[in-house]
Amino acid sequence: MATKSKPKSKAPRKPGKRAQSKQAIRDRIVKAALTLFQTKGFDTTTTKAIARKAGIAEGTVFNYFRTKEDIALFFFEEEVDHAIAAVRDDPRLRKAPLEEKLFTLVHSQLEFLAPYERFIGAALLHALNPASHLGAFSHRAQQLRHRYLAFVAELIEDSSPKRKTDNLSWLVPEAFWIYYLGVLLFWLYDTSKDKQHTLAFLDRSLNVGVSFLKAGRR
Amino acid sequence: MPHANTPTRRALKMASMGANVAGSYLGYVLQSAFAGKDKRKQKLKTTHTRVARKVRDEMLSLRGPAMKLGQTLSLQSGILPEETLNELATLRMQAPGMHPSLVRVQVKTGLGKQPEEIFETFSPEPFAAASLGQVHAATIRGGKAVAVKIQYPGIRATIESDFKWFRTITKPAQASGYIPKEAIDEMEEQIVAETDYDREADNIEFFRKKLSKLPFVEVPCVFRDYSSDKVLTMSFVRGRHLEQFLASHPSQRVRNQLGTNLFDLYYFQLLKLGAFHADPHWGNYLFNDDCTIGLVDFGCAKKLSGASLQYLRGVYLYPGSRHSAEFRRLLEANYAKHGKKLPGAAYRALVDFSAEYRKVYPPEKNKQFVFDFSDKTFLTNYIRHATNLFRTKHVMTDYIFMARAEMGLYNTLHALKARVPTSDIVRKYL
Repeated sequence: MATKSKPKSKAPRKPGKRAQSKQAIRDRIVKAALTLFQTKGFDTTTTKAIARKAGIAEGTVFNYFRTKEDIALFFFEEEVDHAIAAVRDDPRLRKAPLEEKLFTLVHSQLEFLAPYERFIGAALLHALNPASHLGAFSHRAQQLRHRYLAFVAELIEDSSPKRKTDNLSWLVPEAFWIYYLGVLLFWLYDTSKDKQHTLAFLDRSLNVGVSFLKAGRR
Repeated sequence: MPHANTPTRRALKMASMGANVAGSYLGYVLQSAFAGKDKRKQKLKTTHTRVARKVRDEMLSLRGPAMKLGQTLSLQSGILPEETLNELATLRMQAPGMHPSLVRVQVKTGLGKQPEEIFETFSPEPFAAASLGQVHAATIRGGKAVAVKIQYPGIRATIESDFKWFRTITKPAQASGYIPKEAIDEMEEQIVAETDYDREADNIEFFRKKLSKLPFVEVPCVFRDYSSDKVLTMSFVRGRHLEQFLASHPSQRVRNQLGTNLFDLYYFQLLKLGAFHADPHWGNYLFNDDCTIGLVDFGCAKKLSGASLQYLRGVYLYPGSRHSAEFRRLLEANYAKHGKKLPGAAYRALVDFSAEYRKVYPPEKNKQFVFDFSDKTFLTNYIRHATNLFRTKHVMTDYIFMARAEMGLYNTLHALKARVPTSDIVRKYL
């Protein structure tokens, strides 16, 4: 199973040739799988088809991922890493208001997912199955969600000048998760050109949401 | 998390705005019952300001048509109290902007790249805001300074949903004919058209070419390589907004010349081009000490049909009596062209309205005639007659934007306290 490490404060060592080659194969598998998920559908894609598309033996796929759900989860982990980095590494956002940081976070996610829209719809449905690796009861999916929400909580905490917390502070990131799923659904069903309705919805709802949050802290 | 600015939310916001306004004035009535005359007057002023501020804040947050309505209302001097006009005036130049991250997304969506990949410099903060977008300063290759107008996301859907809501709540007014369906159609069509920046670029190029005949007008040029349907890059136009310009206490000579130029500009567009800049709010005009005028924002430009233009030429400076049978035939013929009959009430209102025009530029060949726009009575009467005309429920939709442009012009001339040789100018273009 593929695992992702959290970013460390020390500069990472340059990977060796062997690691680079492993990384290249993993990337090939993920790219092939995503193309098939998007074009053929998530349910109908087999690991055999993924291996053929990636130009490797089916056994090699299993060296990297146990199931196609694992490949999907790996992709979602990359999506979250990408979005967190988009906020954390952008010097422009250092002094930006909370709503702008949250906007960048969610928009970066949507931008990352955009080429695979059809697959995202299927993956959301899949996640409703309690037995699925993508679902709420999967340990790895839960870890990913916690990492994402911990970052959201960090952003919210940073935005409060007095760092006020109360008994209901834990609820805010949880509410944000439900909001994020709502945005994802809105985006999936948005037929406007360049998804302009989603952008408008994201912008305005975050403005109102953050103003409510601030009002609650007064 | 609440869903902001959904159609229902926008409707609720507008309803609560109405309740807020009513509440404030009710509070004033109750308090004033126990106050002396002077105190009552003071309280009324405070109430006007408080109410106007509330209305302005709500309109700012709603953007789109609501903000446009506020901008139009801000030109209604003579009807609304000064305190209200002062607050609404800020709608002409300011609005809550998009944050820099959203601006970057919109530029990338419109032009395919991030601002820093396209422009040599790009200011993340806007220097002006409009009802449908905001404007940023930037420089392009070669260091040329430009103004980049960027559209708010989803603004077209906002307009459509606001009009859907407006149509619903005005059903009784539509059924009784007070707000004709065609008038709403016309307004929606024009405002929706403003969301298409490709079309606005065409308008700018049209007016830049045609208005080059007037040496005192500056129109920006469009940079097509840096523009799309949501991003519009134009050259900077110099000048100050009216309030700033007036704050520098220009001489009466300068005011008169600027007034003359403004009047000339409007009638040149109307009678020579048959097309005019129809968004007259003060944020769109820039004034200079050398009496030149910068014209910006060509999203709302109205083109008149040949028949409408011919009719206008016939009624403007009609030499005979407004009560003559010939004048009546002229009006009736225009209604007949649109398949309509001219009702008596509309005829009387048109005669009164036309008589107001006659005061501005009498048809007699009097070369010395100068109209003094500092006279507020004229403005009040003009608005009253225009309102009476609209109340007859028989106004041609073609003239809605013309009336808006004209009201804007007269308001600006009144603010300038300009004395203008009106008859000379109109006669020049007939």
